[in-house]
Amino acid sequence: MAIYLDCNATTPLEPAVLSLVNRFMEREYGNAASPIHDFGTFAQMAVEHARGQIATLVAARRDEVIFTSGATEANNLALLGLTQHGLATGRRHLISTPIEHKAVLEPLAAMQQQGFDLELVPVDAGGRLEPERLAAALRPDTLLVSTMQVNNETGVSQPLAELSALLAGHDALWHVDAAQGFGKQIEPLKDQRIDLVSISGHKIYGPKGIGALIARKRKGAFPPLQPLMYGGGQEQGLRPGTLAVPLIAGLGEAAKLAQRDHATRAERCRAFRQRLLATLEPLGPQVNGDQHWVLPHTVNLSLPGIASDRAIAGLKGLIAVSSTSACTSHTRTPSHVLAAMGLDRQRIETSIRLSWCHLTPEPDWDTILTTLQDLRDH
Amino acid sequence: MDIFEALHQAVREQYEEGELPKWLADPVLEVAANRERYQGKEYLIELLTAQLREYDAYAEAGCCKWAYDHEDIKRTLRWLDEQ
Repeated sequence: MAIYLDCNATTPLEPAVLSLVNRFMEREYGNAASPIHDFGTFAQMAVEHARGQIATLVAARRDEVIFTSGATEANNLALLGLTQHGLATGRRHLISTPIEHKAVLEPLAAMQQQGFDLELVPVDAGGRLEPERLAAALRPDTLLVSTMQVNNETGVSQPLAELSALLAGHDALWHVDAAQGFGKQIEPLKDQRIDLVSISGHKIYGPKGIGALIARKRKGAFPPLQPLMYGGGQEQGLRPGTLAVPLIAGLGEAAKLAQRDHATRAERCRAFRQRLLATLEPLGPQVNGDQHWVLPHTVNLSLPGIASDRAIAGLKGLIAVSSTSACTSHTRTPSHVLAAMGLDRQRIETSIRLSWCHLTPEPDWDTILTTLQDLRDH
Repeated sequence: MDIFEALHQAVREQYEEGELPKWLADPVLEVAANRERYQGKEYLIELLTAQLREYDAYAEAGCCKWAYDHEDIKRTLRWLDEQ
């Protein structure tokens, strides 16, 4: 069985999370919206407990956590949910970057179709947004700035603190897609200037199908979001539907563990990274993204002379890796992230992304190296 | 600090600095002091600790209930003994 090195696509479940999810699947199956008996009350308490566990990680209040089906839905709600407000107030300018996930770029493109003016501010060669350039793009009618916390393809963290300082004097709403950073890089998301944060459960060893949008109040008022669906009024009226209590409890537990085990997880990932880079060194890899800012569990590199699809297929029995993001790797479209960083076509076409976690077992490094050497030589 | 110590700390704080009544603090302190009896019920211990940290005697007042009151804590104590 191959060792799974695609943790940026999705992570394995933490055993404690699985145990809790099972408990709510098997025994505690009440509806959180029916707190008229113990089943419903326990479900409601579990949801509120999870909300608190998530809120703690981003220095938010419990009522600011809106559960969704994942980060994609959270992104859609954060962006499309502002459409009506933007149209009504005449604020139709949107700012983002070209390295965002499709779950941000596509809703923004949909808003463009409705008359919004979208400006994608270029990033540097290291894959980081340049806060000054982004701030320079601000206009009086800028409704929203949307940036990611950590890039899913390169693992490069973005300068949120610097951007926060530059946005301090502007009242544009600020959305951060934290699908890849929530629970892995904790401090930046506590910044109170960030209005909206999208998070995902299955990137932090929680279940798939659950995420949240943190909608931080400003001067006591929620961001002016409108729901994308109707029918029930749950989640502050922003996300109707019966709450997925087992998944929510699992996400809460995953958030708790992310906080508690943060340092040990990062240390294990750093050690793994050193062994991986040492193994591949003889192949002369070109590492993509500014390594000073990369999180310890990801490396994106180009292997000269080995096309990424050949590398992925050749390594299939040893390690499971990908070339771009999970949501675009099946389309064989060259990485829009590496292209935005200005990398040449050859480097993009030989790039692979390896991402691991504290639960990843040790692969057979020697065989990985010889397999890649064979691929390069033939 | 383990979860029983965290529970002990939360109840002491709410009793000494907050408005948690003695009749509610006492049974919680008893739970915190009986870790053998409550082994395997860590999830409920954590739930109870979170409720104590956000305890508000007037949580039911106003339009939206975003704090925990004595009814919530009493109920969790009951679950701890029943489940």
